[in-house]
Amino acid sequence: MKNYWWKILAILLLLYSIIMGLLGHVPALPIVHETIRNVYFHVPMWFTMFTLYIISVVYSIKYLSSSNPQHDLVAVESVNVGIVFCVFGLVSGMLWANFTWGDPWPNDPKLNGSAIATLMYLAYLVLRNALEEEQKRARISAIYNVFAFPIMIVLMYILPKTTDSLHPGSGGNSGFGQFDLDGSMKAVLYPASLGWILLGTWLLTLRFRIRKLEYQNDIRVD
Amino acid sequence: MSLLKEVTSLVRKEILLEWRFKYAINGILLYVVSTVFVCYQAFKSVDPTTWNALFWIILLFASVNAINKSFVQESPSRQLYYYTVASARAVILSKISYNMLIMLLLSALAYLVYSIIFQNPLGDPGLYFVVVVLGSIGFAAVFTMVSGISAKAGNNSTLMAILSFPIVIPLLLVLIKVSKNAMDGLDRSISLDEILVLLAINVITVAISLVLFPYLWRD
Amino acid sequence: MKKIILSLLLVINGLMSSFAQSNTGVEMATGLRSSGKIYVVVAVLAVLFLGLAIYLITIDRKISRLEKQQKE
Repeated sequence: MKNYWWKILAILLLLYSIIMGLLGHVPALPIVHETIRNVYFHVPMWFTMFTLYIISVVYSIKYLSSSNPQHDLVAVESVNVGIVFCVFGLVSGMLWANFTWGDPWPNDPKLNGSAIATLMYLAYLVLRNALEEEQKRARISAIYNVFAFPIMIVLMYILPKTTDSLHPGSGGNSGFGQFDLDGSMKAVLYPASLGWILLGTWLLTLRFRIRKLEYQNDIRVD
Repeated sequence: MSLLKEVTSLVRKEILLEWRFKYAINGILLYVVSTVFVCYQAFKSVDPTTWNALFWIILLFASVNAINKSFVQESPSRQLYYYTVASARAVILSKISYNMLIMLLLSALAYLVYSIIFQNPLGDPGLYFVVVVLGSIGFAAVFTMVSGISAKAGNNSTLMAILSFPIVIPLLLVLIKVSKNAMDGLDRSISLDEILVLLAINVITVAISLVLFPYLWRD
Repeated sequence: MKKIILSLLLVINGLMSSFAQSNTGVEMATGLRSSGKIYVVVAVLAVLFLGLAIYLITIDRKISRLEKQQKE
């Protein structure tokens, strides 16, 4: 019970977000109508992706100071899971945008920023494939990861704030907090985000454990 | 020996080497001039937005080609020698500052040739110049570190492009935006935010390179 | 794009000024809600999610078993 309470918490929170996300009260707004409920599912994808990338960069820094191969495995697996969540976020956002903004890919800084950030992490994976030697691969990819991370923050958080955007909360648009007067949306969005972040971490630990098993197997065979 | 002394002597060494062979610098300068000319032949006349974007794209590719070489041309034995005489920080700082010098020269020349061949009125040449300087410094900082990484990963230029383009795109976006402001001659206070972002990106990349390069350097 | 932003701003403005009169002009899925059919959708989604969660748990336990084997 000690070790897996957070997994149960993740399932409960997500169940809550599915039920309350569909049944709960939302403000009636033009253009978005009922699709405002997508906030509960689309936005947490980005939170989860970002959390996973932070985990990855933290473990890359840890690897550089410790040279422990397990830290490298955590870093690469969290990038792998983070990319999955990034794809989910992009696809769900495109679907939503198609119905509310009339275009699956409006020229929006947040969209372009997240697409470029995806390229950055795909480049990280390509770099790993280009390197044969294990320690060298771990070290050099960790260096690239740490180098790319602050630029990703600039890309996704600072740039959209200074340019026009369709997304709420940037470029002079008002945030969602303005419509959500009684806080009923916050009461779903925050638990949903936490639930998805926990689920992402869970997937990360699963992939890490598989990788570790493979790694130990390789050592044993050698 | 203090860091500053090491850096200055290393930069002097780079310049001397470059001066003796003149191969790289001449190649790159010719590259810039011929790209500008090809673009001129292809487009003849362009509207200001395209003019601006084209200028930065030419500069981007020229700088990738110029800086790509910075770690490749060193033989492993020479690198070992540096390793014994200089600290890693001094090496990366000297590379970055040398590449900045090259980039400043390169962008000045590119800008000169480009504006002579492609005539285009500039609203605020002073601001445009500042943006070009900031941009070439930023390119130098980002590409130097990435070329170090790709040099360790077997030196292929595809890897260099894959690794550096996503990192350099944010810089490029800000640059294009501010330089467009400068072209239109908008009030300078509008561009202040973006200039601060540019400065921040430059400072951050140099600082991270300084922190990370020692890990890349020891082998 | 500017048009969309402009209209959005106008709408926000309108909402701000008339928030007290509970905006009835906007069409929401009240039909689905009043007929009770929305619960079917919620139930389906909940079942799907629970299925996935159980699947995840079984994978987790399988890996734990493998890890135990490896230790021996």
